[in-house]
Amino acid sequence: MLDRLIEEAPRFFNYYNMIFILQAAGRTLAMTVIGCTVGFVCGLILAVIRQSKSPLLLPVRLVAILYVEIFRRIPFLVILFIVLFAVQAFAPNASLYAIAIISICLLSTAFLSEVIRAGLESVPRQQIEAAEGLNFGAARTLVHVILPQAWKIILPPAVAFMVMFIKDTSLASQMGVVELTFTGKSLVNRGFSPVLGFGAILVFYFLLSYPLSRLGAYLETRLASPRSKGARQLLWTSASPQGGVPVGGQG
Amino acid sequence: MNYTFQFSEVFKELPYLLAGAVVTLEVAFLSFWLGAVIGLFGALGKVYGGAPLKRAIAAYVVFFTNTPALVQIFFLFYALPDLGILLSPMTAVIIGITLNSGAYLTEILRAGIISVRQAELEAAETLGMTRMQIVGYVMLPHIARTIYAPLSNFFVWLVLGSSMAAIFGVEELTGRAVNISTSNLRHIETFTVVAVIYIGLTFVASIFLALVGRWVFRVKARIF
Repeated sequence: MLDRLIEEAPRFFNYYNMIFILQAAGRTLAMTVIGCTVGFVCGLILAVIRQSKSPLLLPVRLVAILYVEIFRRIPFLVILFIVLFAVQAFAPNASLYAIAIISICLLSTAFLSEVIRAGLESVPRQQIEAAEGLNFGAARTLVHVILPQAWKIILPPAVAFMVMFIKDTSLASQMGVVELTFTGKSLVNRGFSPVLGFGAILVFYFLLSYPLSRLGAYLETRLASPRSKGARQLLWTSASPQGGVPVGGQG
Repeated sequence: MNYTFQFSEVFKELPYLLAGAVVTLEVAFLSFWLGAVIGLFGALGKVYGGAPLKRAIAAYVVFFTNTPALVQIFFLFYALPDLGILLSPMTAVIIGITLNSGAYLTEILRAGIISVRQAELEAAETLGMTRMQIVGYVMLPHIARTIYAPLSNFFVWLVLGSSMAAIFGVEELTGRAVNISTSNLRHIETFTVVAVIYIGLTFVASIFLALVGRWVFRVKARIF
């Protein structure tokens, strides 16, 4: 087997294959970044809705809870299939790439909203009461009181979840989105040894996610304050890692 | 926008799907417990082992937690035959997910072990407890309480993660959904029903694990 690898290696590591893989890595990263950004914004909205106390918003709150609970309990592969067929039923010409991005956004919204909610809940009630006492509105309380304190709790697990989404996008290869895993499969189909093909892909995934998980661990130690201990306990029981424990992905 | 849903085609196949759910749970269970064995030794090695052992375990954990399990299983499934090892899809998937969960469980269990404070161990020693007593009465209860919630979360993740076995042709819940939908062409309905089954499975698992945690380990686990 080793002779085969040595013989194939120069052909495998040629310019065009590397460009092919790098482009795919860019696509994987793009899917993750778009998914995380959209997920962060939508997750923040969902988390804020869940924090609201007004009885008028009760139905919206229920929908938000339902959304988070449902999408955290469906495998990403099944979400992909449902989105694929649902979108294709209405828009037969939709690109697979767009469908994969929609699915990753749906998933990341659910997971990141849990992370953000834990961050928001970490801010002591007295702070919010004090803001109310100063006649701050809900928006001002959020922007000037809650978020400046909550982002320290939110950021480390959010970065850890980004690693998870990088890994989850590998499932999009099953639909035919040309990202890293798909590239690996097509290189192997072209006759290269699976050791080389999938090995190279594993290395590229590692290069994408290792810096991120180091960043997450660094932020965790850097931003940790004694006060955040209770909040991290809260995170523990809901969705995310604690003390540098990596997040499991489905991909 | 004129799509008519027809769930009856899918409901006919419900027993077949539910039998697939059992396979899903089997895969999750098996890889959880096999991974727990790896994780136990990994965590002990990482806390009490020598420097080379620690570094080797850290490399294992870092590699497996930073690359997708899907590609790892692809690697096992397509590269090992070159070495003369032929794996059935089911075996390849279970080995892949087990190696993966071993890495995660190493970290979870390690967090549990290091959560026991030195002062508590010293207090136990001062009380004249033997080594076994310290492990049984001081360390284990503490570790169990610390790791119970992340472990039960991780099991739920495994139930969801085992869906990728479908890609290799294992007939678990998602695999059977693919089978059905390719014959009845009711893709949206089939996968919706499967999603509901997954939600039910993980929900029951979460509630069950939270109740067990509350009774046995006195952990205040949140279901929501």
